[in-house]
Amino acid sequence: MKNFFRKVGFGIGPNEEVPSDPLNWALNQLNEIPKLSWTGQIYSEKELRKHYGKWVYGDRKKLRKKYKDNKTLYKVEKDKLRHQTGQKFWESLEISIRHNEAINSSAPVLAKLWMFWGNFFAISEKDFLANYSTGAYHREIIRPNLNQTFEKLVYDATTSWAMIHHLDNSESAGPKSVTARDDWRKRKNQPATINENHARELLELHTVSPKAGYTQEDIIQLAYLMTGWQQKWNKSQLETGNVWFNPEYHQPGKKKVLGKEYKSGKKSLANVIKDLVNHPNCRNFVAERLCRYLITDEPTKEMKQPIIDAFKRSDGNLTEIHKAAIKVAFDYNDKFKKFQTPENWFIQVAKIGNLQWPPSPDVMGAYELGFKPTRKQRSPERLLRNMGHHPYRAKQPNGWSDHSDDWISPELLIRRLVYAKLSASFSQMENNQNGYFENIVEKNFDNPSKIMKYLNQKNRFVEKQTLLYNHPEFLRS
Amino acid sequence: MKISRRDFLKTTALTSLYFAGFGMQSYANSGTKKNLVVIMLRGGMDGLCAIPIKDDKNFEKLRSKINLDRTLQLTSDFDLHPALKTFKNLWDQNQSAAVHATNIPYTGRSHFDGQNLMESGGKIPYQEKTGWLGRGMKIAGLTGNGLALALPMPLLIRGVPMNNNYFPAGHKLPYPSTLEMIQKVYKEYDEKLLSENLEIILTRDLSNTSSDESWVLATNAANELSKPDGPRVAVFEVDGFDTHAAQGATNGAHADCLSDYDNIVRSLKSSMTKEAFDNTLILTLTEFGRTIKQNSSNGTEHGYGSAVLMAGGLVKKAQVHADWPGLKKKELFEGRDLNSTIDARSIYASAMSTVFELDFKKIKNEVFWGENLQNLSDKLFKV
Repeated sequence: MKNFFRKVGFGIGPNEEVPSDPLNWALNQLNEIPKLSWTGQIYSEKELRKHYGKWVYGDRKKLRKKYKDNKTLYKVEKDKLRHQTGQKFWESLEISIRHNEAINSSAPVLAKLWMFWGNFFAISEKDFLANYSTGAYHREIIRPNLNQTFEKLVYDATTSWAMIHHLDNSESAGPKSVTARDDWRKRKNQPATINENHARELLELHTVSPKAGYTQEDIIQLAYLMTGWQQKWNKSQLETGNVWFNPEYHQPGKKKVLGKEYKSGKKSLANVIKDLVNHPNCRNFVAERLCRYLITDEPTKEMKQPIIDAFKRSDGNLTEIHKAAIKVAFDYNDKFKKFQTPENWFIQVAKIGNLQWPPSPDVMGAYELGFKPTRKQRSPERLLRNMGHHPYRAKQPNGWSDHSDDWISPELLIRRLVYAKLSASFSQMENNQNGYFENIVEKNFDNPSKIMKYLNQKNRFVEKQTLLYNHPEFLRS
Repeated sequence: MKISRRDFLKTTALTSLYFAGFGMQSYANSGTKKNLVVIMLRGGMDGLCAIPIKDDKNFEKLRSKINLDRTLQLTSDFDLHPALKTFKNLWDQNQSAAVHATNIPYTGRSHFDGQNLMESGGKIPYQEKTGWLGRGMKIAGLTGNGLALALPMPLLIRGVPMNNNYFPAGHKLPYPSTLEMIQKVYKEYDEKLLSENLEIILTRDLSNTSSDESWVLATNAANELSKPDGPRVAVFEVDGFDTHAAQGATNGAHADCLSDYDNIVRSLKSSMTKEAFDNTLILTLTEFGRTIKQNSSNGTEHGYGSAVLMAGGLVKKAQVHADWPGLKKKELFEGRDLNSTIDARSIYASAMSTVFELDFKKIKNEVFWGENLQNLSDKLFKV
């Protein structure tokens, strides 16, 4: 039963009490969205985007021109600009905030679901999004919506600056729009055409999934409908301006998506999203993804049904959807043990083992803009990248896989062995006392004496840690 | 454009007649170790950027912003992107070639479905849990002969047990005695896959503290492939071909990706023994090509037909093999994409038949469910 605390959260730390009513402990975390528990400074998405803007403007508009004949000097100046805009720092700060929420907040279950939705509406590695924006997008777009409706979450994610940039919607222009008749298009031979990327992913990844049977024509029509949603462009901020609806780029006329007609204009995006989230395939897709994340690679119909029902009953209220998913996870707790992804696993190691992780607000707060961050200040980004599971650097817009097989290979296994061993170097002084292993094993496993017997075959702290964190009962929950 | 579809079909008809009587030929093991390397080009490789067609006014017009201003010479019909320098050197030694206007039979234009299918070899996304290469290795009995130069295990090579991968962590492993205890507990809990992977880690001879740059990976792979008892299959991945914006021409995003591919081939060529390279085939694999027409952001959209690049000593001769469909609007797939006139799986099935020394029909039936694939072995490879 104790694996439930890891299944829906990250386990029980050595200084925490084991909750006596696990299900209600979990459910009670889902009603409200508390303030983030990180006590250090948190920067707004807009502020971080300004740094992004300074970087692209400086590099593209100034340095490249100024040093076009001197590669070495260009490199030196570019590095200066990198550090002036904090390019190597923000993502590590964001990961620290994220991991702190999982480890030190009173709502780890909500944190685990926050991570799920961040990956569901993934911003994959593109341009400099991971460096400046993706963490902030997770905080400001995904997290506040965790007790709102799925419909609102889809709308906010779709119209967020990070997603619009990620999926190229600013590049999409209606062939019959006002801008299509602009003189400069003729002069520069750049006719107005649509970019299908965002429309396709809105259907495929964010709402109904390919099982809904939409056609290429549906994608084109949705892309027409989405034309005009773009970054406000000006000469100083380039592509980092706010998202707005630019009517001059919007394709006029009616559009038909999945058999339904939509009028021209700004409001049609909200209307089409309303219909997409109410499509039966969308409910099924969301239920399947949640079950796969929490319970098993191959969710059954019976597993998904209560989540689908809650979705329908509550009009897509995420608190209700989450509660249904957690209840299902509780019901199937003993029958299915999910192999944990590398990031989830490492957070569990850090929480259960009481590691000095993530770097403290003091360590991160000591960073000064304009300087190179210290090794410690960059450790979150480097560690997750090396483990092959950096939350802001998925390879593709479908995010990281939740299938177990995708996380097993000799190299991925080597990462677990190596980081279980290295975790000893993150250990706190207070852990170096008798009873440390007994305490954490007792709190997190149903068969503590068996696990302890296994660990006690080795004497050294580092070896015990390596054994514990690679034990099948630790790897699965 | 000098070749016509009719010319091509004429030669094909003759060759198939000629070989009609040799269908059931037996494939005795030649005793030489042969290697197959697949480089996956993720994001949709633009075959017409890598190998542009010559003297096609319509093509040049549709790509006015991303046309190549400098190319390498290939044939009377096709040019080569200047980033593919190693490919060109090998071409001059009859050790590289291409198949053009080809792709897996997938027209849906989604990266995720497409990449899943290019690896599984099937027609319904996410249906197969193994890859065509893994299944081919399985019937060839190549257990423990696969090496993926990637952190996760690509679907492509799944389906045969005991594959290895290499992407150095930069840290040392725990003590062997600790690892043995972990192995024991995996077995106790019946964690087959974990146990199998740990077994590989315990027995392999690769440094965990080396670098993960692609040329270093390729050099390591080259060494392994050259060993008589080393792997016979290697898989690489190159990302970033999805150039919706600022695709570039001679230089730019697509050029950089092509150059990543070329560097892998260069490292393989320079670090393999001559005998090993002479008995190796290096193929590319992508999910789809890109639209003929540039979009307003000087990029291209998801398309259909692309090209397969081939290199290594087992390539028959320098050639661009194609049943060229043409680039006039009515000749394009859905009026926008280069058509695919050769099922790319025919190339892969033929390659496995050549390298694994297996009957083509066996591969067709057991790896590709008996689908209608052509045996191109004698046209493309040294059989």
